[in-house]
Amino acid sequence: MILVLLSLLILTFAGILSYKDYRISLILSLAVLFVSLEFGGIPAIICFLAILNIVSLAVIRGNQISGVDYAMVGLMAIATIYAFITSDIAELLALFVVVSVPTYLLVMVDEGKLNVDTGIKYITFMVIATVLFIIGTVMLYSGYSWQNSAIYFFGFLLLLIGLALEVGIAPLHEWVPDIFANANPISVSIIASLAKFVPFIVAMKVIMITATELTTSALLVLAVFSAISMFIGNIGALTTQNPARILAYSTVANMGYVLAAFVAIMASKDLVYYAIAGALLQLFVNAFGKVGFFNAIKGGASNVSNYILCFSFIGIPPLMGFWGKFFIIYALVFSNYLWLAIILVLNSAISVPYYLRLVRITKASTPDMLTNILTTTTAVVMLVTLIPPTWFVELVSEVFK
Amino acid sequence: MIELLLLAIFISPVIGSLPVAFAWLLDPKRSWARKLPIFAVLGLFISLLCTLYILFNFGELDERVYRQVKFEWLPGFNISFTFIFDYLSRIMGVLTALIAFLIGVYGLEYMKHDYRLGWYWFFFNLFTASMLLVVYSDNLLLLLIGWEGLGLASWALIGHWFRDDDEMSFVGVVGRKIGKLNYFWSPSFGAWRAISTIRLGDMPMFFAIAVIFFLAGNLNISEINWGELSEKVGSVGIFLILFAFLLGPFTKSAQLPFSEWLMTAMTGPTTVSALLHSATMVAAGTYVFMRLSWYMEPWNIHSAGIEAIYVLVLFLGLISALYGASVALGCLERKVLLAASTMSSLGLMFATASASLWVGKFAIIVAFWYLVTHAFAKATLFLVAGHLIHETHNRFCVGGKELAKHLKLAFIATILATLCLSGIPPLTAYWVKSAMDGVMHHLEHEFGLIPLALLVLTSAIYSAFLAKFLSLNFLKGEYHVKAHGGGRLMSLGYTAMVSLLPLILLLYLYHPDFHEFVAEGFLNSSLAVGGIVLFTYLIALYKPSLESPVGRALGDRLYLAFLNDYIIPALGWTLAKLVDYSNRAIDFFCHRAIPSAFGLLSIGIRRIQSGSVELYLRLSAAVLVALVAIAVALGVIG
Amino acid sequence: MSLILFALIVPLLVTFILPLFKPRIATILSTISFLVPAGTALCALLTAQREEELLMNLPAPIGDFYLLYDPISHALGFTISLVSAMVALYSLPYMKHRFEEIDAGLGEFRKYWFLYNLYAVSMLWLVYSGNLLLLYIFLEISLLASFMLIYLYGYGNRQWVGILYFVWTHIAGVLALTGFLIIAFENQTLALNEIRAIGFLPWLLIFIGMVVKLPGLGPHIWLPWAHAEAPTPVSALLSPLTVGLAGYILLRIYLIDSSFISQFRDIIIAYAIVSSIYAGLSVFRQRDYKRLLAYSTVSQMGYVLIALCLGTYGLMGLVIQYMSHAFGKAILFMTAGALITAFHGLRSLDKMKGMHEFVPTISNAALIGFMTLSGIITIGMLAEFLILIGLTQVYGFNLAVISLVVLVFVITGLYSFYTMREIYYGTPMGYEKPKFSRLLDLPLYAIAFFSIAFLFPPLAPALLDGIKLALGGVLP
Repeated sequence: MILVLLSLLILTFAGILSYKDYRISLILSLAVLFVSLEFGGIPAIICFLAILNIVSLAVIRGNQISGVDYAMVGLMAIATIYAFITSDIAELLALFVVVSVPTYLLVMVDEGKLNVDTGIKYITFMVIATVLFIIGTVMLYSGYSWQNSAIYFFGFLLLLIGLALEVGIAPLHEWVPDIFANANPISVSIIASLAKFVPFIVAMKVIMITATELTTSALLVLAVFSAISMFIGNIGALTTQNPARILAYSTVANMGYVLAAFVAIMASKDLVYYAIAGALLQLFVNAFGKVGFFNAIKGGASNVSNYILCFSFIGIPPLMGFWGKFFIIYALVFSNYLWLAIILVLNSAISVPYYLRLVRITKASTPDMLTNILTTTTAVVMLVTLIPPTWFVELVSEVFK
Repeated sequence: MIELLLLAIFISPVIGSLPVAFAWLLDPKRSWARKLPIFAVLGLFISLLCTLYILFNFGELDERVYRQVKFEWLPGFNISFTFIFDYLSRIMGVLTALIAFLIGVYGLEYMKHDYRLGWYWFFFNLFTASMLLVVYSDNLLLLLIGWEGLGLASWALIGHWFRDDDEMSFVGVVGRKIGKLNYFWSPSFGAWRAISTIRLGDMPMFFAIAVIFFLAGNLNISEINWGELSEKVGSVGIFLILFAFLLGPFTKSAQLPFSEWLMTAMTGPTTVSALLHSATMVAAGTYVFMRLSWYMEPWNIHSAGIEAIYVLVLFLGLISALYGASVALGCLERKVLLAASTMSSLGLMFATASASLWVGKFAIIVAFWYLVTHAFAKATLFLVAGHLIHETHNRFCVGGKELAKHLKLAFIATILATLCLSGIPPLTAYWVKSAMDGVMHHLEHEFGLIPLALLVLTSAIYSAFLAKFLSLNFLKGEYHVKAHGGGRLMSLGYTAMVSLLPLILLLYLYHPDFHEFVAEGFLNSSLAVGGIVLFTYLIALYKPSLESPVGRALGDRLYLAFLNDYIIPALGWTLAKLVDYSNRAIDFFCHRAIPSAFGLLSIGIRRIQSGSVELYLRLSAAVLVALVAIAVALGVIG
Repeated sequence: MSLILFALIVPLLVTFILPLFKPRIATILSTISFLVPAGTALCALLTAQREEELLMNLPAPIGDFYLLYDPISHALGFTISLVSAMVALYSLPYMKHRFEEIDAGLGEFRKYWFLYNLYAVSMLWLVYSGNLLLLYIFLEISLLASFMLIYLYGYGNRQWVGILYFVWTHIAGVLALTGFLIIAFENQTLALNEIRAIGFLPWLLIFIGMVVKLPGLGPHIWLPWAHAEAPTPVSALLSPLTVGLAGYILLRIYLIDSSFISQFRDIIIAYAIVSSIYAGLSVFRQRDYKRLLAYSTVSQMGYVLIALCLGTYGLMGLVIQYMSHAFGKAILFMTAGALITAFHGLRSLDKMKGMHEFVPTISNAALIGFMTLSGIITIGMLAEFLILIGLTQVYGFNLAVISLVVLVFVITGLYSFYTMREIYYGTPMGYEKPKFSRLLDLPLYAIAFFSIAFLFPPLAPALLDGIKLALGGVLP
């Protein structure tokens, strides 16, 4: 925690200094991130993602808060990394808030002037989500301590709704398409990538800590949520023409996939790593993919990269998207949720047409260099799983000991 | 040595035909390409020499002796290239090669100006080679290769004039319709009819071979223990196996109801018809049946299933024979008349060979020698018919005495061939037919005099239409056509062919093996039949045509074409249409309905996106309330 | 590193360097890169080589990635590389023509060659994969590459058709994947040599997936679209090679655990027969040459499913049927493509009559192709023979099954020669005799040669004995 506070201080300092020169903030943020690399493999990937986010913010350098935004991304990254390590519920909730708040500002970032309308809409939902999430956690923990099943279930469901509102799981996804379509692509790319980790990790840890025999039946509701989210996301995107909206629905669907991995929470320790690995891989695919695609929307990118991202989202081996689904399906299989597994695989087929359409409509004849590099980098990241990511499962088992 | 010999038999015709085939494929316009068929005929000649060598140098020609030669093929399955040299195959091989060679010589002139020589010679020689393979192979799978080769080559040759643009290559009166059906057939249609009918028989035959392999573990006809096999599978089993097997010979040899293709096989060049009708294709069916009976020795096996099959073959053969003869009687087209007559002869061969169940091997020998006699005579008649068509440019039986004067050799050959084939004493076929009478007479215990009566009736009609053929073409035909002359090679072909008939006669009379034939020939009953045959021959010669509705119906082959061209296709097309509708329905469902449904659903989902925060909050609240209800429910249960 | 692995790596490497070369050189390189594994596989087949070669050690539940060399793989590997090599040659003139049609420059060849080689090489690796996951990966890569080829260069509404193809086969793939994962959980491995048992549920999922891919009646509806609208060289890999791989996967699963098939044999064979007859009848109504061939593929895949139900002989029949269909259909699709190139997009049967007049070499090749399909003096004969033996072994004298299977074979023969008559026979229409590249007809004959040669020694005994050995050598 000390480290986080220290980083916070540095980053605040960086934010203040950025009024003089945004480069100071940039350098300081990156420096902080490099320091946090020592925590292991998964934090390193998070850092890399954050760096991509920061670099992509350079595309809209001319915005109102240029400089502060780098610091905020750095802050989010630090919080995310710390969320992997800690298992104290209070700390987790604090981190949840720390990650959530910078996005309130980031969502308004735009070239020229601040995008206030969108910001207000977003903040409204986030505040409700945060409140529900915190209340849910508290009640869940109380229900667990007092062994009161009604309170437990109530808490569980509030937590679920809070999570759903926060990351955009259907049927509470309504804000997602509007925000994604109206905000600046680059700022959305941060919301859609880096901000998605902490809510899931916190929720997962909370549920794991409070797991009782009641959890099994509660997970059924979660599974239904996940299925609904996949369907709403994928089907919603089918007839959408606006690329940002397509990505919004894709997020909804992807959040459904990630949520599906939660059903394995009750499994034995060596098996649950597969579920976590699946969820994390899927989150990484979603994150890198969104960064790549939003940059492609913003400034254009090479067609090859777009296709790789698209196929990764669909889940074609040996790209990363395949392995995320692979481990999630495995988790569903050993938790006896075969129906959900089949819904998941069918959904990956439903998603084919709109991802391809996305590639077609984001095609740019003369791509901007920076966005092209960013998108290409994300595409290369999708290829790291050419070596079957059993190594990733090991990384997960190290972090979640 | 023997390897080379065998290789030469099968390969040399094919190799010989390759120069012309390739030359034609590259550039058919060169004049030298037209000289290349000589190599093809040379290939046939080499084949003939080899078969002759096998006939004379493989020991004594005896019914009981045979010699096998094996080469490895699929050792893991006990399947090998097994060739057999026995009484049947040694004679049949020479017969095939000789006839093919003579027709080949004839073809050099007949096909001189054709537009597709490469194709013609390649498949003509492949046809011969396939038949030789069928003749010599003991292994059923090897036999099947030859068998399929026959089917393929016949398809290729019947449809040789694939352009369908020459009226001379059609069958039937062009433009004629009966009901909805076109009652005339083009070469491409003729080819399709042939191959479609043959496939119908080949596949069950293939199945039977597979069953035999599975049950007996061996595919060599001479090695399979048929008695054991029939015990193993019981009467019904052996009946099914043999029935499935014989569907192949039935379709290839055009027995009822598979006879239609043979009639329209006349769309091919006449040389092809001649080969197809004498020694190859159609003979293959009866030959295989004879070979099967030869080694199965049904007279030694007591099985109701086998008996039922032989009775079936007997009557199917006799009825087909009668049908074929009657159709020939009513037919006015030269080649179709001969085709129908072939069908009739094939029926007789089947019937006689099947009598072996009661009579023994002798019946097979009789059937076999009838095949030999018939082959030469029929080949002669076809070659003559071809020459006539060439000269008169008319497919129908026309021509008078002038034509006879002009084509003296053809005239003489026809006289000789018809006389020898119809069974007029004391000419060639008479002795075989007498033996056949004797065989049928033996069946009196089983079936009374019905088989004999059918045979005599068929013979009488047979001789009548042969005389009609002679008379209408050379004596009393309606037209006197000015012919163009030429055709030396063609004349040579059929003259050589017909001259073999007297040789066979001598063989019958003087060779000790045939003393039974001669003895049968001197029986009073046989002489009486001979008398009847002579009588009908003379009548028909005197009055070759008689207008009558019955005759016309016979000429239209009793409208059997409707079965082939109308009923079965209608059935097939109806099914195909149904299937097509169903495809459309599935296509609509999967590729229109489902995507549209998803599209509508998608639009529905997106309609929520009104942009109003209030609405979103209300929706969230609704979900919250619903979940609270669920939580309460779960809490109560929990 | 064994020779075979080396031969397998050659085309893989070539795939990535092909875009650097000019079209003509790329064609030659691609062809050679497939002839290398073709030759190696043929030698390995003749010597009946059986081995396993480890690629990568992976923990449970994935299990080792290894390559599986046995005569079945060699037989399929040879088929795939031979056909791919020949189609690669054929691609050059064909795609030149296609690029002109869609107003793309010759630069498109870079993309084309990469995708083409990737497609073919993934199928080649698939048949040597000894791990279900590895197998799945190559299955999806081949799907991806073929999809891109259709999406970029197909005919008609190519993007719609491409997506349709992608969705259907992706469903097939992921259903199988779910099945694989259940196997992975139950056995804690996906390596073929370590899986002990396959339960009902995974079998069912894999079976349904593969029936969609094969395809059987019902799901078959995607195939005519995809195979007809793909650029012809792609059709000539899709139809002969790709769909049949579903049969290969089922075979591998069956060899581990045959319980599912033995339990539901009657239902499956009934479905297979109906599917085959249904598709065979559909052929008669098609007026588009490539669609016609596509329906014939559905019918032929019915054979594969039938063969799967017929015991050990049936399995041998399955492998040989795969080869025979591959040879025959590759030839036939290339004849269709040759007509398209020579007569500027001619595909409708209504505008074809007596085509033998104009393109005799193509017509003759088509004849051999149809001979292979209907089993006339070609490798197809062995396939039918083995299926029929299997039929006897399993069903004895069950008249209904026998007559229906025989009917299936008869229908194949009928539509083959019906098509020959419709397209190549009859009074020729008023076309000019075209001039076209020799690469459009010679490769067809190279395949035809093997189609016939596989009926005779030394190839036939090597093939049959080898497969027998691979299946456990329990036959007589």
